[in-house]
Parts: sequence; structure tokens; C-alpha cells
Amino acid sequence: MKNVYNFSWEDLGNLAEGRPNLGGETSVAIYRLMQFTFKDVLSKELGREKTCELFVKAGLLAGREFCRNVLNPDLPFDEFIADLKAKLIDLKVGVLRVEQADMESLNFVLTVSEDLDCSGLPIFGETVCDYDEGFIAGILKEYTGKDFTAKEVDCWAIGDRTCRFEVKPVEA
Amino acid sequence: MNSTQALNAIGSCLALAMERGLGKNGLVFPVECKEAEDDTFQNSCQNLQQIFAQMNESYRFAEALANGELKTEVSRSNIFAMPLKALQASLRHLTWQTNQVADGDLSQQVDFLGEFSLSFNRMIKSLRDKKSLEQRLKTITDVLGEGVYLVDTEGRLIFANPEAERLLGYSFQEMTGEMVLHVIHKQYADGTFFPPEGTQLGTAIRTGQAYNSDDCVFACKSGRLMPVSLACRPVITGGKLEGTVIAFHDITEQKKYQESLQTINALLEKQASTDTLTGIYNRLKFSKLLAMEISRARRYQSSMAIIMFDIDKFKEINDAYGHQAGDSVLIDMARVVNANVRTTDIFARWGGEEFMVIAPSCTLDQGVQFAEMLRFRVAQTTFSVPRKVTASFGVSVFRSNDTELSLTNRADNALYRAKGNGRNRVEAEDAEAFYHQAGASRPPTS
Ligand SMILES: [Zn+2]
Repeated sequence: MKNVYNFSWEDLGNLAEGRPNLGGETSVAIYRLMQFTFKDVLSKELGREKTCELFVKAGLLAGREFCRNVLNPDLPFDEFIADLKAKLIDLKVGVLRVEQADMESLNFVLTVSEDLDCSGLPIFGETVCDYDEGFIAGILKEYTGKDFTAKEVDCWAIGDRTCRFEVKPVEA
Repeated sequence: MNSTQALNAIGSCLALAMERGLGKNGLVFPVECKEAEDDTFQNSCQNLQQIFAQMNESYRFAEALANGELKTEVSRSNIFAMPLKALQASLRHLTWQTNQVADGDLSQQVDFLGEFSLSFNRMIKSLRDKKSLEQRLKTITDVLGEGVYLVDTEGRLIFANPEAERLLGYSFQEMTGEMVLHVIHKQYADGTFFPPEGTQLGTAIRTGQAYNSDDCVFACKSGRLMPVSLACRPVITGGKLEGTVIAFHDITEQKKYQESLQTINALLEKQASTDTLTGIYNRLKFSKLLAMEISRARRYQSSMAIIMFDIDKFKEINDAYGHQAGDSVLIDMARVVNANVRTTDIFARWGGEEFMVIAPSCTLDQGVQFAEMLRFRVAQTTFSVPRKVTASFGVSVFRSNDTELSLTNRADNALYRAKGNGRNRVEAEDAEAFYHQAGASRPPTS
């Protein structure tokens, strides 16, 4: 067994062939079950902070791959966002909405409602969408070629009805 | 304070709020928690107090939203404010979307926001339809081959198609908002400037009238005055004049063609009326001019003399020196006489070696004197043949009942007598014979 795994989009497999009856979809509960159990186990091995950091990293990789394989990074920004919104709805990830987009400073405020990770959770008092933070930053990195940080400033899990992310380019 | 007292206080506080609304201070919790009689009751009081505070906060938050203030923040733990926060997020998003549309982005949709989505998406669709219609119209005007300007009611340029830019050399950018007619339409075709009251095109634009013209010129950026054919039509929306469309094209080539046609026609006309050998009028043109002069003399009761003359012994000249020499005698004869007639006289070749002169405003005597002068000049002239060339003249004068034929016949008869009386002389019409014959009144003979 190799020591390191490198993700590739093909590893997601041929779902049509592999799941002829059950298809490509699963339940959100099962998705969350996996995420939260990972969080449980990893935090006990590595600590809470390190776990969050790893979730952001994984989300970033997912975002880049998603942009490369599902989106069209050649579209102008307005159309790219329209396409991203449509795809996230199609794939039942969440309802992405833009509140601010400053194309000069590349500062964005985005919200995700009906989020796959957190909507409907009990109030924990801390944001939980670490994976989403990475995912958004990853998509924008792939689209613009620049590094971004996405910070979840509002989250269902802290009493908001929608998750709000402030996205900024990483200062060089 | 016992629980009954506390409940009563809370009850009357709520009753007042339900009667008068929350007011400026909101709900004020009427119980001092520390004064509650036991710990359990104190706890409940604290929860209730917190609920009161949350209700006050969410009420103020809702008020801010109602006023369109979308940046107001509210504390996380406020359970009443949660759907309001979702509303705030939706409104922020709609604001962004609307700004996007204002900036020309029609690719967005609003998802899952109920009636907001329906209305917004309907607006986007209608704007997209409008845009594609505009695009189609733009394509049409792009390929039209006709310059198109759209001006507002004051004449300021709103739109120019590429053909208009190409024709006049002004880009749309440099002309946008300009009073377009002040730049391109200020002169007549000959370069003189319009009077201050302006032109028909300017009036058509101001008053919303349709107007067509093939006689305008537009000034190009290069300074050239381009003759244009133009059509101008008002744009009326909902009964209100919104502006005017001016469509035009360059008619330089047509104008040139028209001018060359006019030149050709004038040439043809001249050819049809000119004697090819001598260059003076031919008999056909003479007849037309005589008819005009007769009707003029009749209308104004003016006098008019006719002089018919003939080169003496022309057949001998032809026989002796050949036809070419004869032709040059004819040419010289025409030149000599032409040089001695007045500009108002009409001189024509009648046929062969015969010529005619119409002398308006001449009496018979004046006509005879005129003919005598011509006879003398001819006799004085050296022709290109080695012999003396003379001519004989017959003169008649217009009478009120004359026809072309009667008038020329009398001149012809007089000419015949001049020949019979020895040539190189002038004879007037035989007045007595005419009066006797026709019983007409005697002509003026002063
Ligand atoms: Zn969240």
C-alpha cells in the first residue's frame, strides 16, 4: 500500500454502471453521518483545530476539482456565477447567493442556504462549515488563479438561517 | 414579590403593549428578578426577561428591514430574529442581483425566493427578450447599407449605425449627445449657410413630422458636403414623441449621373436644333422660334420683320470650285451675318443657300434698312473662293392675321423679286398687293 493517496476525478467511479438501481444520489443524513463521524474520530486523534484545518484543505481540493470537472472556468464572471449557482442546485449542494462581489479587490460576500453541511443543525455556538469554506476558496482559486480564504461568518449552527461566507484573496 | 404579583405585572404590561403597540421603549419587563421569592421563580423570570429583550431586538431589526436598512446586525442567540435574518439575506441578495442587471448582467436567476423569484426571473426574461430584439435590430441596421441616426426630440444623437459612421466619418462616441444637425446639416448644397430659422429637416425633428428629401447635403467630418437622400420619421411611444429616426444614403453618384444626363440632353437638344454645317439654328428650330415670336408679337401687338436671303449664283460657285468650296462659302456667310445681327435677332439656315433672320421689334422700313446693312457687309466680305459673293434679300413684316407660312411666303416673294431685279439687292414685300388681296389694315411703316 502506498503511503500517500492522490485524488483524481476518475476515482469517483462509474455510477451508472456501479449503481444501476440506486443511482447517483444518497441522503443528506448519510453524508452528514460520514462528515461528523470523521470529525469525531479525527478530532480525538489530532485535536479540534487540526481537524478543522484538514477539513478546509480537503474542501479546497474538492472545490478545485469541482471547478475543473463540473464548471466552465472560461466563462465571464457573471455567467460563471450563474452557472455555479445552477450546478449547486442541480447537485443539491445548497442555494448559493451573492450579496457582494467586488471584482477589483476580489472581495465577496456569499450565502449558502439549505446547505448540505449545516442547515437544520441544532445550535452549537460555533460555525461548522469548514469543508464549505475550503470548497468556495477552491472554486475561486481555480477560476481566478489566486489564493483565497473563505470565512464562514454566519452559520445555521450558530443561530443564523443561512451560512454567510466572507471571501478574500490571500495577501501576498 | 410573589408569583401572582409578578404574573399580574407581566399581564398588565402585555395588555398595554397589545393595546398601544411596543412604542419607543419596547416591552419593559416589569419584575425585578432578584426580588423573586425563590430560585426556580427567579430563573423563570430571567428567561422571560430575555424573551422580552429578544422580542424588542427582533422588533427593531424588523423595523430596520422594513426601512430597507440591510446592514443592521442582530445577536445570534435571538430566536425571533432567525427568519428575519433569512429575509435580510434574501434582500441583500436581491439588491446585488438588481445591481447586476443594472450593469447589464442578464445571466442571473433568483432561486427559491417565492414571489421575489417569480417577479425577478420574469423581469430577467423580459429584459433578455428585449435585448435579443435589440440585437436583431442592431444587426439589421448594421447590414442595412443605409446610414441611420436616432435623435431625441431636441435633436441630440442617441444612436448611429456603422454605415452612418462610415458615410460621414464621425464615430458614434464623438457624436453622442451632440445636436447632430448643428454638426452635419447647416449648409445648402452650394455651401451657403441656412438662415437662422433653420430647415425643414430641423422643423420635422422638432415637430415630429415625417420628411423626405433628395436635395439635402450633410457635412462629412472631412468637410466634404455629401448629397444625400434622406427619410426622417418620428418615433412615437404611447402617443408621445420620443425622437426621430433619420435614414440616409450617399447620392453623389446619382447626382453625377443626373448631371451628365442633363448635359447629354442639352447636347442632343442643341444638335437637334443646329445646322451641322454652319452651327446656326436649322429650319426646324427656326420654325419653333418663329411660332413663338409670332404669338409674342400678336400678344404685345409689337412689330417684327422677317428677312430671307439667298446667296447669288451659288450653283455656279459649286460647279466652279466644288462642293467643299461651296460649303466654306456657306460657313463664311453664316459667320458674317451672325456677327452683324443683334442678340435678340434669330438667325437660321432655311435650306440650301437660303437663310432667315427674325428681327423682333422692327417695322418693315427698319427691316429693309437692316437687310441693306447685311447685304452691304456680305458684299464687302472676302470669301474663300476667288470671286465676289453677294446675296439677295426679301423682307416682310408681321401682320395680326399672319401665319408662319403667310409671313415667310411674302419674304420669299420679295426675295424672288430681288433676284429678278438684278441680285445683290433688298426688296420689301409688296404691300399694296397684299392689302388688295387680303383686305388687311395697313402696317406701321415709320
Ligand atoms: Zn454553516
